Amino acid sequence: MQRINLGEFEELVLLIVAILNDNAYGISVMEEIEVQTERKINISAVHSALDRLESKGFLKSEVGGATNERGGRRKRFFTVTVAGNKALNFVREQRNRLHEQIPNIDFGLNQYASI
Amino acid sequence: MPQFDHHPPRWALWFLQLYCKPRVREIIEGDAYELFYKRVETDGLKVAKRKFGWDVLRFFRPKYIKGLEDINSLNNIAMFKNYFKISVRSLVRQKFFSIINISGLSLGLAACLLIMLYITNELSYDNFHKDVDRVYRIANNQSGQYTPARLGAQSKMDFPEIEEVVRLSGPYDQTFKVNNQIFKEQEGFSADSTFHKIFTVKFVEGNPDKALTEPNSIVLTEGLASKLFPKQEAYGQLVTVNGNSLKVTGVVADPPKNTHFHYNFIESFPHESWITVGNWTGNNFFTYAKLVAGATPESVEAKYPDFVAKYVGPDLVKYTGHTNYEEYLAEGGRQGTFTLKPMKDLHLYYPHMALGSQGNINNVYIFSAVAVFILLIASINFMNLSTARSAARSKEVGMRKVLGSRRNQLVYQFLVESMMISVLAMILSMGLASIVLGGFNELANRNFSYTDLLAPSTLLLLFSLVLVVGLLAGSYPAFYLSGFNPLRALKGENKAGGGNVFLRKGLVAFQFAISIFLIISTMIVFSQLRFMGQQKLGFQPEQIMVVKNTGLLREKLSAFKNQLLQKPNIESLTLTNQYVSSSIADWGYSTMEDNPRHFNLMNMFTTDDFLETMGLQLVEGRFYSNELASDSAVAVINESAKKELGFENVIGKKVSRGDGEDYTIIGVVKDFNYESLKRSIEPLILRRMFEDGRMEADWYGGNYLSLKVTGNFGETVKQVESEWNAMVQDEPFDFVFLDDSFNSLYEEERRFGKLFTVSSGLAIAIACLGLFALAAFTLERRRKEIAVRKVIGASVKSLTMLVVSDFTKLVAIGSLIAIPTGYWIMQDWLATFAYQININNPLLFLIPVILVTVIAWLTVGFQSVKTATSNPVKALRSE
Repeated sequence: MQRINLGEFEELVLLIVAILNDNAYGISVMEEIEVQTERKINISAVHSALDRLESKGFLKSEVGGATNERGGRRKRFFTVTVAGNKALNFVREQRNRLHEQIPNIDFGLNQYASI
Repeated sequence: MPQFDHHPPRWALWFLQLYCKPRVREIIEGDAYELFYKRVETDGLKVAKRKFGWDVLRFFRPKYIKGLEDINSLNNIAMFKNYFKISVRSLVRQKFFSIINISGLSLGLAACLLIMLYITNELSYDNFHKDVDRVYRIANNQSGQYTPARLGAQSKMDFPEIEEVVRLSGPYDQTFKVNNQIFKEQEGFSADSTFHKIFTVKFVEGNPDKALTEPNSIVLTEGLASKLFPKQEAYGQLVTVNGNSLKVTGVVADPPKNTHFHYNFIESFPHESWITVGNWTGNNFFTYAKLVAGATPESVEAKYPDFVAKYVGPDLVKYTGHTNYEEYLAEGGRQGTFTLKPMKDLHLYYPHMALGSQGNINNVYIFSAVAVFILLIASINFMNLSTARSAARSKEVGMRKVLGSRRNQLVYQFLVESMMISVLAMILSMGLASIVLGGFNELANRNFSYTDLLAPSTLLLLFSLVLVVGLLAGSYPAFYLSGFNPLRALKGENKAGGGNVFLRKGLVAFQFAISIFLIISTMIVFSQLRFMGQQKLGFQPEQIMVVKNTGLLREKLSAFKNQLLQKPNIESLTLTNQYVSSSIADWGYSTMEDNPRHFNLMNMFTTDDFLETMGLQLVEGRFYSNELASDSAVAVINESAKKELGFENVIGKKVSRGDGEDYTIIGVVKDFNYESLKRSIEPLILRRMFEDGRMEADWYGGNYLSLKVTGNFGETVKQVESEWNAMVQDEPFDFVFLDDSFNSLYEEERRFGKLFTVSSGLAIAIACLGLFALAAFTLERRRKEIAVRKVIGASVKSLTMLVVSDFTKLVAIGSLIAIPTGYWIMQDWLATFAYQININNPLLFLIPVILVTVIAWLTVGFQSVKTATSNPVKALRSE
């Protein structure tokens, strides 16, 4: 079986970058995660995940223009690569397949399910 | 104010700039700024600033830190894991070598650990006292321990450098009576009330400033307080001493063990003139002074000669009969002064001034030398075995090199291995040390406990020692093995120890040298001890029993004596103020001539039966008699004193103590040893003691009753004890036989001898372990050679000799080093004895050499014979 090396947080970040489409950079990813999952995270954790995903080839980045709200500093925009798309699809399919195999749980009555 | 006019904390920006890689800095900074401006809006400036700082700190990760690009971080740890694994495997594969290596090293380390414990303890003496660097003991002249009563107070008055002084006297034994119970306690002192200002004492109860101000006050240590007053508070209670009541005015914590001045109780001085006023000529006190901060002892010492001229001079002049101090000096009188000895040096450098602690800087040196020797031998074993094993591992080294190991990686590997062995040995040595701790305490005359052994400072020392040993012992094999040419190593061409045979043999020879040296020292120490034990003292010490504290009998003394004389086992008895072999004081005497000459003679008061009881012979004249009333101002001297005085005809000559106290010499007694045999027989003067113990005027001092006993000693002791108990209630019976008393004078030497025995035994044991393994290894290497020789026709005998003679040469080289060193060092040691053995006796040196040779032969020979008798076919077929 093909193995996709994608951690839980990495998967989340990858998904968010995909959602944000052309506007994915450190802050926007962090804020989107906060909005979508109500998780409080530090910006450095986001950076670290983005960097890892880039080194794995799931993301690519380019530097955008400078803006005033960043004290004249440029943004680094991320976009999902083909490999990243494949990885997302793979993980999703795998999850779906697994979900579908869960039998109808009948708590307490089915002696095998309770294990 | 728009949010963009605010600024994030400067330090955070600076810190980011400091650590962050320039490539990512802009992006991180940008994000941080963006967050900052948003937070200024929502959370306020203060929170935003704080969070900005926190963000920057969170970005401090290896990924973003400058200069960390080149570290291939995980690889090293993996390699170290591999080194460990290989080390464990090679240790387990060669069990025999590993066991010898580890056990030898742990023996050495255990010895070192104990000795380190001893040395650190010796060096820690008195350091717990506050301002110990400013506390000095005042010595009379260069090293006299007793000083005049007035010295302290006058010095403090005259010299601004001196902050505080205290006088002490002691240590003495005291018998306490508490609630009709008798306690005989040792280590008592009397002290001035300033005691606690010089010595650090922790008062559990009582006021330190007032505890010793009143006469008849006593301060007890907690230990003694709970003994005298179990289950009640000692503070404020009364104890009875010689009929006087003393009030307990303080209870202090027991003093630590590492002090030169160990006390159980401190009494105050009585308010009598000899204390409060005192004089300048009687030296009865120990004086300690604390200098003000910044004052040097030299500045005080420089002032003492004038001080002596001013205060002591007038008294001296009166005593010697000169008109003034200048004239006294001009006529050869000794100029007196006082010197300051640092208190923390008393224990090791001035043991005769230390109040009861038995330290000696030489012991520290000797113990250190022994530790170094033993550790050296163990390390040499370690090095030798590791290098000897190199052949077995040369293929491994070659393989690693071919696979791309750098040389320093190989060095690391072998160092890791040697460190592992040392750490294993360290753990073992801790166990060994705790097993032999009791024996060591006896050897070092100290009292260490397991907690001392496990103290963090000791463990830290041990661990650093292990690091050093591991690195030192491991470095040679490491560098040697890692230097192999990989191609030759893989082809098996690296002959075991090709180039290092010389070094290895040199190290073995050096081990032999150390062992032989230690055995020589042991033999000489014990011969000297035996020699002293057999030396004729001039009387029969085993027949003389001394009953102590007879001064307490007072008016019952004559009754006691009469009772004893009726016993059939007691031939005669004599009363004295000191007893032979105890410390006898010297008194100054002058001759009665136009130019009086001054002598210091050992002075002893005895009753007229002294000669008979001790079994001494008279050479000239007669002994004094208590029957003759005219014999009040007479004295008897020994032959040495006659020589010292230098009179042709000494009988009838007079010696003077000054002030009209003149004594006529009426007899000369044959020289006898009344002191340790370390000293030659010194001039002695015997003065008459009255039957009731009176020495001069109304001064009583008949403290010791010597009995000449025959028959069953144990029975006699019982008889005397029952007489004593019938007459004395408050004092336990105390006695000593003179041969025991003399023997106890050589306690230090006996310990010295034991130390050498133990250390030479240890050295030989460790060296033998190494030798055994080395021989096994050598034979393993030469198995084929021996087999071939045997096939061609060599006999078992000649084959054994082949190997054994190799090692015999090494013993010979070792003894060439050891004999001169031993001769030179032990001659130095013997020089401290007045009566010494003849060190030029060749047996003293031959026996150790022969002993070591035989041990070496046994170690090596056993294996050689085994190899030589084995079937040569087996050795030759194995290829």
